[in-house]
Amino acid sequence: MRESVVGQLVWKDWRLQRPQIVIVLAWGAAALTIVRWGHQNTLVVGGVLFFIPLILLAHILPLAGVGNERKNQNLAFLMSLPISSIQYTSSKLISSLLIFLVPWLTLVSAAVVLVETRGVVPRGVIPSMLILAMMPVLGFCLILCAVLVGETEGWGIAANVFCSSTYGLAWFFMTQLPGLMGPAQGPVPVWNSTALTILGSEVSAAVLLLGLTYFLQSRKRDFV
Amino acid sequence: MSDLAIDLSGVRKKYKFFALDNIDLKIPEGQIMGLIGPNGAGKSTTIRIILGLVHQDAGEVRVLGHRMPAEQVAAKWEIGFASEDMRLYESMTLGWHMGFIQRIYPNWDAAYAQLLLKRFGLRAEQKIKGLSHGQRVKATLLLVLARKPKLLVLDEPTTGLDPVARHEILRELTAVMAEEGRSILFSSHNTHDVEQISDQITFIDRGRIIDSMDKELYLDRWRRLRLEVPHGVELPALPGIVGVQQDGRLAIATANAYFPGLANAYETSGARVQRIESMTLEEIFVANVQYSREEVEA
Repeated sequence: MRESVVGQLVWKDWRLQRPQIVIVLAWGAAALTIVRWGHQNTLVVGGVLFFIPLILLAHILPLAGVGNERKNQNLAFLMSLPISSIQYTSSKLISSLLIFLVPWLTLVSAAVVLVETRGVVPRGVIPSMLILAMMPVLGFCLILCAVLVGETEGWGIAANVFCSSTYGLAWFFMTQLPGLMGPAQGPVPVWNSTALTILGSEVSAAVLLLGLTYFLQSRKRDFV
Repeated sequence: MSDLAIDLSGVRKKYKFFALDNIDLKIPEGQIMGLIGPNGAGKSTTIRIILGLVHQDAGEVRVLGHRMPAEQVAAKWEIGFASEDMRLYESMTLGWHMGFIQRIYPNWDAAYAQLLLKRFGLRAEQKIKGLSHGQRVKATLLLVLARKPKLLVLDEPTTGLDPVARHEILRELTAVMAEEGRSILFSSHNTHDVEQISDQITFIDRGRIIDSMDKELYLDRWRRLRLEVPHGVELPALPGIVGVQQDGRLAIATANAYFPGLANAYETSGARVQRIESMTLEEIFVANVQYSREEVEA
């Protein structure tokens, strides 16, 4: 029985990147444990530690999963298999999203449950927390696009530097928005137009970046 | 149904500093074609076009009857490709790679894979990063051969190997050809390896195919004539002579279409033919490239 080659490539990536997923999950779980203590200092330390593995995964995964395959000359091996360049791109998008989103969803869900059930911080913080958690997703999509389409380590590093320097700036602008920061201290999450617009923009930008990657890859005439 | 494993007609590909120009290449099924060219001649680009990884600007490419690059997926089910710059995953074992390929190819021959492990002196549980260069090449070839491809495309597979490893690989490739209908395109700048296994030879230089024919015909047609040229005698320009080097009374004439009448013609002109020598494939290759470049520059 012939198995789907794209499916096999996704499985292969999952197998190769499994240690990263375990490390990120363990790190995130440790950070949430610190947050659970509920003191002012542990909240700050745990909160910061919680976002670090998500950002690291977003920045390292595209370079490790796609960039290194090209740098380490594994690409010729893959492209000798019965796949087209666009099937290769599909496999990379699927596997990268899967490997990133499994720990991301697990940790973000765990954080939401923690806030909802333990009351360590006001429940009103949930919209801001999700907006903040979406930033590594956007960064991940941008870096993945740069590494896949750009084909050189330089593009990946440039996208990495751009994203790293943008997170702080974006967060600073968001803290200036009363519609977002005002309800954050409240007892219930407020899904006002400000929160929904920002969250919607983040999701749309991520989808747009992935679509753009697919489009640009499909136009390539030389692949290896 | 075409009986050509590879059929390239009028293929062109232009880059900023290099171009493949009007490549015609035909390999009948069941044949081994050696593609010989200096570094940067266009061997790898030609091979990547054959595999559909690089799209030609013009010309037709058919591989095992499939139009390339449009039908590259269907074609690659039947092609085994290995190249000198191809690497496996360092952190994984050879056994993991074998499992990976086995799940993709229904033709994977597990018994043959085990046999190759033994013949090549490899161990499935060994990680790729622990293998020597020769072992890595053998591991790659094992993964290619055990899937039983109809066409093997090998881009400089023996580069950097010691003589024993090269011999083992060439022996295995020769054994592969015992199965009917299988074809090999073998590119190299090592003429010795190509000469050992090829039925046909194609020379490529600066993006152009400069000659292509049966190996035995090459060895038969090319000759070096050592001549003694007395004072006052001028060597005539003869058909089939592609180069003459003269140093005083001694001259060497190189023929690419030798026939006994050539020696007689020199004798008639007053020169004395001291010796007629066969040429190795490497000598033929170098002479062919030089002649072709002179022709282009003239």
